[in-house]
Amino acid sequence: MSAVAAAPPSSARSAGGVQLENVGVRFDFDRLGRVVTPGLALFRRIRSTTWGLRGIDLEVEPGSGMALIGPTGAGKTTLLRVVASVLPPDEGRALVRGRIGSLLATAAGLSSLLTGRENAELLGVLAGRSFEETRRNMHLVAERVQLDDAFDRPIHTYSLGMRARLGLAGIQAISPDVLLLDEVFEALDHEFRGIVEDYARELRARGGIVIAAGHDHPALERICPRAAWLDDGHVRASGPFDEVVSAYRRA
Amino acid sequence: MEATTAAPAGRGDPPATGGARHRLDVLRVLTTSDLRVRYGRGGLRYLKWILDPLAALGVYLVLVSLVLTRGADAIGLSLACAIVPFTLLMASIVNALTAVQLRGSILLNMGFPRMLIPIASVLTETIAFTASLVLLPVMMLIYGVEPTAAVLWLPVALAITVVLALALAYPSTLFGIWYPELQPFAVSFARAGFFLAAGLVALDEVTGEARDLLPYNPLTGLFESFRDALLYGRSPAAWELLVPLGAAAVVLAISVPVYMREQSRLAKLVG
Repeated sequence: MSAVAAAPPSSARSAGGVQLENVGVRFDFDRLGRVVTPGLALFRRIRSTTWGLRGIDLEVEPGSGMALIGPTGAGKTTLLRVVASVLPPDEGRALVRGRIGSLLATAAGLSSLLTGRENAELLGVLAGRSFEETRRNMHLVAERVQLDDAFDRPIHTYSLGMRARLGLAGIQAISPDVLLLDEVFEALDHEFRGIVEDYARELRARGGIVIAAGHDHPALERICPRAAWLDDGHVRASGPFDEVVSAYRRA
Repeated sequence: MEATTAAPAGRGDPPATGGARHRLDVLRVLTTSDLRVRYGRGGLRYLKWILDPLAALGVYLVLVSLVLTRGADAIGLSLACAIVPFTLLMASIVNALTAVQLRGSILLNMGFPRMLIPIASVLTETIAFTASLVLLPVMMLIYGVEPTAAVLWLPVALAITVVLALALAYPSTLFGIWYPELQPFAVSFARAGFFLAAGLVALDEVTGEARDLLPYNPLTGLFESFRDALLYGRSPAAWELLVPLGAAAVVLAISVPVYMREQSRLAKLVG
């Protein structure tokens, strides 16, 4: 890993913090290419192993934003999943301080047979809010999402954009300290991209952390002053956004 | 989630949230969402909850009384005493088999206490199951069987049914995610358990070698405990309660540690 530059100064509130030390995530496969987990290893022999991430050292300080760039399959989504506690590291250590709001795809976490309100309730509690608190704040979600009657309809009737609005409103309702975005800009309309960008900047100004992965570099640059270039599960470079992106493009 | 720390080679829950209070909240939302997704909304769902055991009762009643011509006393009640608890066990197994896939998008998006997934499956089906309990007094009424003091054993038998359902939910959840293509086989295998127990006919009516073998199936003791409490008006024998309870304890002792080790890596199998 080549550290292109030092970390930016942290801001006033330090609610969140992300620190990855030598993180590795391994995927084991059997002879038919099926994933083998420790439990499945009792019945299936491991024939090959791929490291989705290996030797990742990253630190994102409160008030900062880190863009994850790199080709498809570089490990960006896996890294976001480690930070979101979706996947544990198989080696190394991941320390994440603060409440996490994750949008790891525009409709991630939403159940299509539930209404917008029911989805917001479910995700609010799963993200760490109490049931009462989630119910109490539901009118704020309804206001932000601006779906009117559709808020009480099953979300399989929603467009992609409506789902994205609901996902973001759900995140805003839990007041996260760490915001994780995975290729959301690629799927959003112009107006909503602006809303996401504004929210990400506002979160950082409050001392929160934004980690966003994707291929829309101009959009990522607007919310993340720093970047990490991932390639084949390793960090090739990290530092100020323009320097890392220049290095990535040159390569 | 607050103060998240992911340790190497994760053990136990993915770090998520604190406290028993929050786990109860998580269980509540997982269960209510599961109920809505699987059974819909509105008053009609109560009808759905009762239709399954009612249909099974009808089919088996025809099978036993007309095809097998086993005309025991209160055959409908005897069957209901087996069908009603078995409905919960089967529904919990079927629910658990698909529980992880159903929550796949949530699982890939955020960390939460995944140990609660099988518990939510059982809780969902237990709520649905309560509606089917109405079959028991209805059958007692139809066959003119008056309740005795032994009916007080019914809550014990019900509690053992729920514990057994929970014990079966953990391995079912794992099997459903490990071998999704074999889910129909798992359902058939579980259904066979009914026929290899004193399900269609009461144990008292079974003769020969089968009479000695059937009690080894934990379902036999469970079904007989319902019959004792409601049909025969006597206290269940100790083995009727202890065999299913012991079986549940053994299954839990084996499957929960495996599930605990596996649950943090469920996303690798879903994603």
